Amino acid sequence: MLLKNESGKQMLLLGNEAIVRGILEAGISMVTTYPGTPASEIGDTTSEIASKAGLYMEYSTNEMVAVEVAAGAANVGVRALTAMKHVGLNVAADALMTLAYIGVRGGYVIVTADDPECYSSQNEQDNRYYALLSSLPCMEPSDPQEAKDMIKTAVDISEKLELPVLLRTTTRVNHTRGPVTMGKLAKPSLRGTLVRDVKRMVMIPAHARLMHVRLLEKVEKAREISENSPYNTVKRKGKSQIGIVSSSSAYNYAVEAVELLRLDASVLKLGLTNPLPEKLIGQFLKANKKVIIIEELEPYLEVQIKAIAKDHTPTVEIYGKTAKQYFPRKGELTTRLVAEGLAQITGQKLPLDFRKIDEAYAEVAKDLPARPPILCAGCPHRASFFVIKRACGDKANYPTDIGCYALGIAPPLSVGDLLICMGSGVSTAQGMSRATGEPTIAIIGDSTFFHAALPGLVNAVYNNAKITLAVLDNSTTAMTGHQPHPGTGVTGMGTPSEKISIEKVAEGCGVKFVKSVNPFEIKEATAVLKEALQHNGPSVVILRSPCTLLTVRDRRRKGITVKAFRITDKCTDCMTCIKLLGCPALIIENGKVHIDETLCTACGLCASVCPYKTIEGEEAST
Amino acid sequence: MKEFNIVLAGVGGQGTILAAEILGVAAVKDGLNTRVSEIHGMAQRGGAVTSSVRIGENVASPTVLEGQADVLIGFEPLETLRNLKFVSERTFVIMSDERIPPTELAAKNIAYPSIERILEKIRKFTDSVIAVETERLAKEAGSILTKNIVLLGVLAASGKLPVKDESLVEALKELVPAKHVETNVNAFKLGYEYVKKKT
Repeated sequence: MLLKNESGKQMLLLGNEAIVRGILEAGISMVTTYPGTPASEIGDTTSEIASKAGLYMEYSTNEMVAVEVAAGAANVGVRALTAMKHVGLNVAADALMTLAYIGVRGGYVIVTADDPECYSSQNEQDNRYYALLSSLPCMEPSDPQEAKDMIKTAVDISEKLELPVLLRTTTRVNHTRGPVTMGKLAKPSLRGTLVRDVKRMVMIPAHARLMHVRLLEKVEKAREISENSPYNTVKRKGKSQIGIVSSSSAYNYAVEAVELLRLDASVLKLGLTNPLPEKLIGQFLKANKKVIIIEELEPYLEVQIKAIAKDHTPTVEIYGKTAKQYFPRKGELTTRLVAEGLAQITGQKLPLDFRKIDEAYAEVAKDLPARPPILCAGCPHRASFFVIKRACGDKANYPTDIGCYALGIAPPLSVGDLLICMGSGVSTAQGMSRATGEPTIAIIGDSTFFHAALPGLVNAVYNNAKITLAVLDNSTTAMTGHQPHPGTGVTGMGTPSEKISIEKVAEGCGVKFVKSVNPFEIKEATAVLKEALQHNGPSVVILRSPCTLLTVRDRRRKGITVKAFRITDKCTDCMTCIKLLGCPALIIENGKVHIDETLCTACGLCASVCPYKTIEGEEAST
Repeated sequence: MKEFNIVLAGVGGQGTILAAEILGVAAVKDGLNTRVSEIHGMAQRGGAVTSSVRIGENVASPTVLEGQADVLIGFEPLETLRNLKFVSERTFVIMSDERIPPTELAAKNIAYPSIERILEKIRKFTDSVIAVETERLAKEAGSILTKNIVLLGVLAASGKLPVKDESLVEALKELVPAKHVETNVNAFKLGYEYVKKKT
């Protein structure tokens, strides 16, 4: 669909699909990524069409590697793009900061997808600050159409300034579908040539000092582009003296809230937000008495606009989230939050009685059972956590990591004591073990292992930390949508590659105790974990069983049906299965345990924990 | 038409995203502006999920304002209740009667409330509500995986949607795998007829 050259046609596209169409229209020839919500579909959609489109894409081992691979290509004149979630840019930050000095020859765009409200993230940092920190241009689309169009503009700006450009999206841009008008497809070209220029490209101190000056010169050129960008525009309204400044998804809420309140206000929409168009903003400030800044997360625009006001028109009143908080600094905005803030500032009355709605809803919500995300029925992680708990007990410490297995914190499994970022489990375990002297088992998944665990694991060996690393290997990057990784034997281009063995990597790092076991083999897995805990030094236990969603999909494709397990009449209602496993297929009806036939995948875990052997069924292998 | 707002609420894995996408594609086929919002990733794993579809010339925000849904499609009874904040007396509520008990209920040994009690609570917000036997109809259509499409059939039959029935069916045919088109079209028809019979 995305590959058709249907210039002028309108299609409904997910923000992330629109970005991929932008990649195709901009002639980008290399796409690198590490999957992360809400950016994942950029890589996945590219992966589906890459070979047909004639471009190269890869799932890199992590975001830093992804940026470096693309930077190599962009520095020999090839157009490239790297996509990642917001926290991925923390991993890539070391490369980013100095790449800004070096710049690029081929257009290079870095898509960073922020996640206000932490729908699928460990924090809700505002990555526009990376643009300020690195001095790189930053663009912020508000909908799928802009997301597509801005890719091409970003490539143009990148080539003009010879600088990487950040495209900062938010969940509500990445995961919103909207009509997108197609442009013309361009032909990718993966042929680059190295033009040697060590002063520009090899950042030793003497060169870095020079290139920093060059970067600052580029910033001024970028400001000119920003002053004249069609993405930075004012919609004036009548003789209003109220001005609103907004960007990204916040802009959508702003225009709807203005409509809702029937406010007479001019709107300055900013799409190129670093560097800011100082003159344009200065004029806007002069033309209004009150200026209201509506943006999600940090007061990134507001603080800078206040500085601009000081130079241009110190008397203008500026409202937002510094000084007095009219809009929240945390979480995502909504039309309601924006309308409430605007009503407070302008004295306009809200046409909807939200309080009445809240009260009626609170009455319903008060006894609604929660439904947080949980491990799927048949998930091998449930078996892993069960055996880990059985072998190591409640007294052990369990630093955990980023992946579906973070859901292991939910009762009754309750495994997971500290979680910071990708790969933090194996390293925090070392500090924790040394400081408590208690058994410490770090949890990590297979994709995360390759992404960020290796330096931590080497550290454990080098410094002789007594920890056990439990690698919950489900042979995929499950949480973000089943992308391949170095252990799966498939690349982003769909070609086969060497399956990198976690066992051999661990052994290669110098770990003396490395064993792998199927977590559904409860006795054996428990014994292996117990043995690992006795080992004097770092140990690695790989609990290997494929993601149940993949297994179920595979069965469906092959037409294999499996029979759900059954609770027999001999069941004593002791509830042990429910108390130990918390499997969503185990339900209670009229005080009796039942197995939901549609959810049960016949993993057999409940049957093996039933003390009276009253659960029957045939374990399905695949 | 000012705007038309649909909220789709269910449990991760029930096909709310596909149903929302079908509605959005159909709207674009009819030359209408639309925004479809969805939540992916971790939140999906068996958790409560809400998608929304907004249709209308000036629609910009992908999410629906409290009390402003024209239609709430609840793929699961408790999730229907969880999304009543979008409902007012002018909202049409379509609810699947298929119950997926949250694990909290099992852990605390609490019974799932009866459909009647759930309908009672909904009626405090709106009289316009229909409970749909999605499982039976989907099975009749040929696959229990088509429950989401049954609900779309019910929505189409309500006659409230500013999108043509033919566009919906066309979008459906484009978005489901080729070999499942027939089953899904069946499911859509069964949902459609279900309402016609009831009203």
